[in-house]
Amino acid sequence: MTTVARPNYRFVNKNQPRLEGVAKVTGRTQYTADIKLPRLAVMKLLLAPHAHAIIKKLDISKAQAYPGVAGVFTADDIPAVHAKDGAARLTTPFASREVVFYGQPVAGVVAEDPSIAEEALDLIEVEYEPLPAVINILDALKMDAPKVRGSLAGSDNSELAAHSTVAAAAEEEHDDKTPPNVTHRLVWARGDVEAGFKEADYIIEKKFFASWVHQGYIETMTATVDCDLDNNYHVWISTQGSFTSRENLAKFLGVPESKIVVEFLEMGGGFGGKIQPYAATYPAMAARALKRPVRLQLTRSQDIRAGNPAPQGYFEIKLGAKKDMTITALQAKAVYDSGAFPGSPLMAGGNLLGSYYQTANQEIEGIEVITNRVNQGALRAPGTPQATFAIESAVDMMCEEAGFDRWDFRTKNAVVEGSPMANGRNYPKIGLKEVLAKFKETNFWKNREAKPNLPGKKIGVGWAIGGWLGGGAPSSAAVVLNPDGTLNLEVGANDISGVHTSFAQIVAEVFNTPMDRISMKVSNTAASPYAGMSAGSKTLRTVGLSVHAAAMDARNQMFKIVAEKLECSPDDLESVDGAIRVKGTPDKSMTFATLGTMSTGYGSPTPVIYGRGALASPPMAPGFALQAVKVAVDDLTGLVEILEACCVQDVGFAINPLAVESQIQGGMVQSLALGYSEEIVWDEAGILRNPSFLDYRLPTALDIPDIEVALVEVPVEGAGPFGAKGMGEPPIAPGAAAFVNAVFNATGARVDTIPATAERIMKALGKL
Amino acid sequence: MAKRTFALNVNGGDYEVFVEPNSCLHDTIRDQLGFTGTKEGCGTGDCGACTVWLDGAPVTSCLMIVGEAEGTAVTTIEGLATDGVLSPLQRAFVEHHGMQCGYCIPGMLMSSAALLRDNPHPSEDEIRHAIAGNLCRCTGYTKIVEAIQSAAKA
Repeated sequence: MTTVARPNYRFVNKNQPRLEGVAKVTGRTQYTADIKLPRLAVMKLLLAPHAHAIIKKLDISKAQAYPGVAGVFTADDIPAVHAKDGAARLTTPFASREVVFYGQPVAGVVAEDPSIAEEALDLIEVEYEPLPAVINILDALKMDAPKVRGSLAGSDNSELAAHSTVAAAAEEEHDDKTPPNVTHRLVWARGDVEAGFKEADYIIEKKFFASWVHQGYIETMTATVDCDLDNNYHVWISTQGSFTSRENLAKFLGVPESKIVVEFLEMGGGFGGKIQPYAATYPAMAARALKRPVRLQLTRSQDIRAGNPAPQGYFEIKLGAKKDMTITALQAKAVYDSGAFPGSPLMAGGNLLGSYYQTANQEIEGIEVITNRVNQGALRAPGTPQATFAIESAVDMMCEEAGFDRWDFRTKNAVVEGSPMANGRNYPKIGLKEVLAKFKETNFWKNREAKPNLPGKKIGVGWAIGGWLGGGAPSSAAVVLNPDGTLNLEVGANDISGVHTSFAQIVAEVFNTPMDRISMKVSNTAASPYAGMSAGSKTLRTVGLSVHAAAMDARNQMFKIVAEKLECSPDDLESVDGAIRVKGTPDKSMTFATLGTMSTGYGSPTPVIYGRGALASPPMAPGFALQAVKVAVDDLTGLVEILEACCVQDVGFAINPLAVESQIQGGMVQSLALGYSEEIVWDEAGILRNPSFLDYRLPTALDIPDIEVALVEVPVEGAGPFGAKGMGEPPIAPGAAAFVNAVFNATGARVDTIPATAERIMKALGKL
Repeated sequence: MAKRTFALNVNGGDYEVFVEPNSCLHDTIRDQLGFTGTKEGCGTGDCGACTVWLDGAPVTSCLMIVGEAEGTAVTTIEGLATDGVLSPLQRAFVEHHGMQCGYCIPGMLMSSAALLRDNPHPSEDEIRHAIAGNLCRCTGYTKIVEAIQSAAKA
């Protein structure tokens, strides 16, 4: 649904193959572990086998003496500016005295080759004294729970702040009435919820659990760090943010950012999990001491145990509505397990929980607890799929209980421009109602009643909505005219899923000149224009605006020169296919190549064409999605097959529709998997039981049908180039809820915990 | 473990490598021969990123020790384009956005290229079965399946 009259774009809003596609299909793309360096040594980590323990003894002497070992590193090598066993993972790469999660690194060996390093790991002697561990999120809420960790000094909420656009809420100080493992608490309230529930004809109350999950990037966390005798650091890392890595490594090492250069490389998936440069902290310690390049590549098992997976959520929802479908009150408690280090997505998830529907009376209580599990990290709309599962399950239950049409109920109550969010801020222009309307135009909707005849299986349809407010950050870009008339586009943003191609499309559109004239360049943090991390659905939106500004600046510089030469006004000029010409008089023109030579030639009086874009964070542009699935549930086993899937999403403006569709499809599959299969499992002692892709099951091509995508375009002026919104995050919000609602529709089983595995479905049906 | 020499044929070229006998094929072709297009995602045969061909059959190279590849023809992602020209399948992956981060793509291409060689006109179900051992986290598979279907039609 296009809401604006569209000019005849030539390069944006067009399907464009990936610029780096050929390199990727021929194996030429370089990821971090593909970089070979002279004297490169490798590092291997020793992980703790307890969830909570005191390290009584750590003896590395035999490992240090092992032939081929270059060095052994422990908490003693953490830069002295940081407290040992602090509450931020970045500055606590190794446990010193207290192990706080199963899999926490305690030592690392650097050797000439990996097999030597692994052999030396076996020679490290550690004695542990196990301590009581807190594993269950409900136990962590108790007043008499054991303390998860000795110290909460130095905890870090920077990632939450970076990822989120919500305003800081009122936080209560820690006091004697607060359980020892509650690290944050906030309340957002408006109206009078008690009065609201008195008005209600129907009330739904339910508790929900969403499990810990891993981002599932196929390239594990990997980093190589070199350090020279002047203590200049050179870093290659699989990261969503080269500049973010530089900043955080500088903090960790206690050196100026100007002493660190981080290269831009392709990254084998991140999904939020590769924002923090945890993987680089280990080789950085080693390189600092050894003055040679050191590489660490986590094994898959280590990445699941000691990466930064996404946290569990526990929700208590009470929802009231009148017979006319008006929501009279929403009361909710949202609890996030942050693992052993504070910093959960409480504010983002808690806010969105109460920001999808309009209601005068609302109270959202948010609580963050710590447990003896691995530190949590971001995963695509952090905190949101968990909260969306809870509220969209409750909405589905309300519709079932009251006999409301699910589309009518959502459409009547959906937030619109100006509606307050839970945190009290008002929505800018949004497209949620347009998304709901578009759903009725999809093939999925038209075919929703059709039930294939599958003996022994029950067919059901479910759907849900969800969204993301969209992050923001200042950014910069440069567009430079080369002597031969080609254009270099320089940015400092890491490509996640094709954004570099979209940047080049923007420049092509500004110059009205084909893509083959434009070369997209990223180099490193010493040379590339600054941009923040590629995360939070903000990369195209923020950096793309700077790219547009840089292209316009370069074009204006070129117009000025041509106007003087042709003795006309710059307003009379247009740029077409590599030349600038007088409108309506195509033979009065000057080619980019002529301008390129003029502006770079020896002795030339013409300045270099250097277009600059440097902008502050643009206004917020929240994006919403609706996802729907049709499922077949086996009567005997509870196994679910997903038969059809559909996603409708407001993307503002699709610069490259093919890339947008692909990212939506991938996001929806990730969201569905939260609903049906993915879960990190710890036992009661806090031992992580499924640290492999065999037991931690990502969807395969057989688990997922083709996904129908319907794009809605409700652009927000000034919020992104050509009105583009962030679109990487909304697709992970609703899928898990859609899956669970479909299972209910098929079987009558309301599963309160995701993933809704066959076992949980059979339990909900009372068959187990 | 004492190193010894192994003779390998990779992408049509003959090589000798001097490595420990328990070295896996994946590490050997990457670290010794520089064919870094082959990727490791798990090291335990669960993700398929390291898929190469042994005499034309897709195998997970992280699970093979180097000696098992002696006397066979190993083909990696670097061996799919001939004479500097992309295969129709490679071109289809580019044109259909059958990739995002690209890390799974070398393995995905080796599995799907073997399928199209043996079964030039597969059904969607046959395509999905052929790539079921290759995990992709970015795309949700739809665009990959479309790319393979498009190459099959060409």
